[in-house]
Amino acid sequence: MYTSPIPPGKDLKLFQPKKNTVLVSHGRPPWYGEDGKHIGNAFVIGVAGGSASGKTHVAREIVRALGSIPTVIILSQDSFYKYHTPEELALAHANMLDFDHPDAIDMPMFVACLADLKECKQSNIPVYSFAEHQRLAETKYLYGATVIIAEGIMALHDPALRALYDLKIFVQCDSDLMLARRIKRDVKERGRGVEGILNQYLRFVKPSYDNFVRPTSSHADIIVPGSNNAVAIELICTHIRRQLQERSNQFRERIAIPHQYIKSNSGSSTPPPTLEDLNLTVLPNTPQVQGILTILRDRGCSRQDFVFFVDRLSTLLFEHALQHLPYVPKTVVTPVGADSHGKQLDASHICGVCIQRSGGALERGFRRVVRDVPVGSLLIQSDLTTGEPMCLQVMLPVHVRYRHSAENTWVFLLDAQIGTGAAAFMSIRILLDHGVKEDHIVFVAFLVARGGGISVLRHAFPEVKFVCAAVDDEMEEGWLEGVQDEITNPGGIGRKVWVMEPGMGQIGEM
Amino acid sequence: MSFASPNPSSTTTITISAPQATCAQTKDKNLPPNVFTLPQTAQLEALYTIIRDKETSRGDFLFYSDRIIRLLVEEGLNHLPVLPRVIETPTGSKYEGVGFEGKICGVSILRAGEAMEAGLREVCRSVRIGKILIQRDEETTQPKLFYSKFPSDIAKRYVLLLDPMLATGGSAIKAVEVLIEHGVPAERIIFINLIAAPEGLLNFGTRYPTTKVITGWIDQGLNEKAYIIPGLGDFGERRYCV
Repeated sequence: MYTSPIPPGKDLKLFQPKKNTVLVSHGRPPWYGEDGKHIGNAFVIGVAGGSASGKTHVAREIVRALGSIPTVIILSQDSFYKYHTPEELALAHANMLDFDHPDAIDMPMFVACLADLKECKQSNIPVYSFAEHQRLAETKYLYGATVIIAEGIMALHDPALRALYDLKIFVQCDSDLMLARRIKRDVKERGRGVEGILNQYLRFVKPSYDNFVRPTSSHADIIVPGSNNAVAIELICTHIRRQLQERSNQFRERIAIPHQYIKSNSGSSTPPPTLEDLNLTVLPNTPQVQGILTILRDRGCSRQDFVFFVDRLSTLLFEHALQHLPYVPKTVVTPVGADSHGKQLDASHICGVCIQRSGGALERGFRRVVRDVPVGSLLIQSDLTTGEPMCLQVMLPVHVRYRHSAENTWVFLLDAQIGTGAAAFMSIRILLDHGVKEDHIVFVAFLVARGGGISVLRHAFPEVKFVCAAVDDEMEEGWLEGVQDEITNPGGIGRKVWVMEPGMGQIGEM
Repeated sequence: MSFASPNPSSTTTITISAPQATCAQTKDKNLPPNVFTLPQTAQLEALYTIIRDKETSRGDFLFYSDRIIRLLVEEGLNHLPVLPRVIETPTGSKYEGVGFEGKICGVSILRAGEAMEAGLREVCRSVRIGKILIQRDEETTQPKLFYSKFPSDIAKRYVLLLDPMLATGGSAIKAVEVLIEHGVPAERIIFINLIAAPEGLLNFGTRYPTTKVITGWIDQGLNEKAYIIPGLGDFGERRYCV
């Protein structure tokens, strides 16, 4: 089974979801509860069937029909062809290597990658080049799908793989129809002769289908015809939608939107948490820090002053935050020839992640303190109607993308303030999903609202360090006037927001 | 005063409503009370370890010495007065804060003191900077003033005196003497340096007990050539790569 190249043309591309890519429609809502733990795995669908039976078509139709599902990956079995020895490579280039045998697929890796994605972890899947007939050195990073569709002729072959599926589909097609499609495709798209295609078909494809592929149809939950299958796909999508709806209904009340847990000031029986309970690392309240905060909080502060003092304050914050990193003794020789017994940072990787937009305000201070530090970004916006945080973009530094290095990486999360804590909650969860250790996360913000989402955060993630310049007492419900924007907010509608008092206003605006 | 004496209790977990300086005033009874050090944290010790190492590249030396200089300047500024100031926040509420009071200027003791000007400017925008050149007179072996250039209104300003290394204290004492001649009261001078020898602190503090000294680290002492041990070599040379 070869990946058919996506035909050129913009309109077609829109309707042909790419394989091995996270497809995003409107952002990813929380996938975790108020305790910070996952509330469910991704929904995994396995699609098997003969070569040219129409598996990819079925997968794409499902994605298209689901429409509003936030994040989908179509994972292709083709990525998991094994690494070939030079002898195999020679056979492959002579079209003599059997790609249709189960042994051609690196099943343990296929299972491992799919299992990671199902558990909402990142996965770096191999990249296979059909031009070189070889697995390439690079890998492709995938993260954050709610629905995963694994497709390939052997998708239902391996028991470990089958155990991961929530729904197993077999695409059934007549052999003569599959051969006809195959000849048509290979002649048209790959410029190959009919003779060669038939040779390959009779030697590998047909025996493989009869021996390995067709028998796996007995494992399928549903068998879909390879043509004229609109009704079958409609039925499948109805089933998937209902399954997803049931999950979300079941977990709706447990979804973590920290400000839903904020007690209102009136009629609250529980006193606001004390600073000791919150265990924040607060910058020493020196005259200079007080003066800087006064300038920044002033509504009359000029943009120029704001930028200068934001840089100064964030530099101080990061100097203070660095105390959370580990240090070990080190002895050096000074230019005068004397031994000096000092200390050395004991962290293999350090990186930062900015929560956009206002987290960017801290970036310059961070770079002044940590030399040449890689800084990634997360775009999290709240949904205009539900108020839920939505993850729109994940751009993480390379050390976090790979699980083995993420486990030894210290990550500084940058955001201007922790109010409702919704974006902070989601970004910490994203780092944990990648394998970053909880006690290796240092959250740095200018302001934290004592009565805000920080207590939910503290409860869910007790090991995360929170560093801030000041703690404000209150959160108040406010109204943010909508700015008319053709794309994000065509009606120019305002929305309810939580505002910190006395606060610093909208830091990202400056 | 031993070199390796970090104070690990640097984590502040509560807000303090009254202003406080981060400096722990030195506990050593042999040193004058006007000497303040930066909090002796593990990360500060790690910064010093990098700049002390003779194998450290010039790029690293610049980056990490700048980090210390910024901290020193921030600490020095904490000794300047502030006044209560009430402002209105963007949400419309009143906030009782403080406002900075008094004009400042920097004075660097050439050559090495110049290396601290960039760090000073990052913390204090468009700050005025005077210069002073003091060198040892080969005949008398005493420090001698060769050149000085100050802002005309220096007598009305607080002066941050910059010199990275305080060894015997000879040039620093001479520099303060020159500043006093220009009408700056000794108590309005804040002397900032990266590494100090106890001998120099003692000389300086005895001579000018009202001038505050902010130092990042107090070393073991001086060797027979009056180099600070363990020190970091010649700061200006390592900084400018001459």
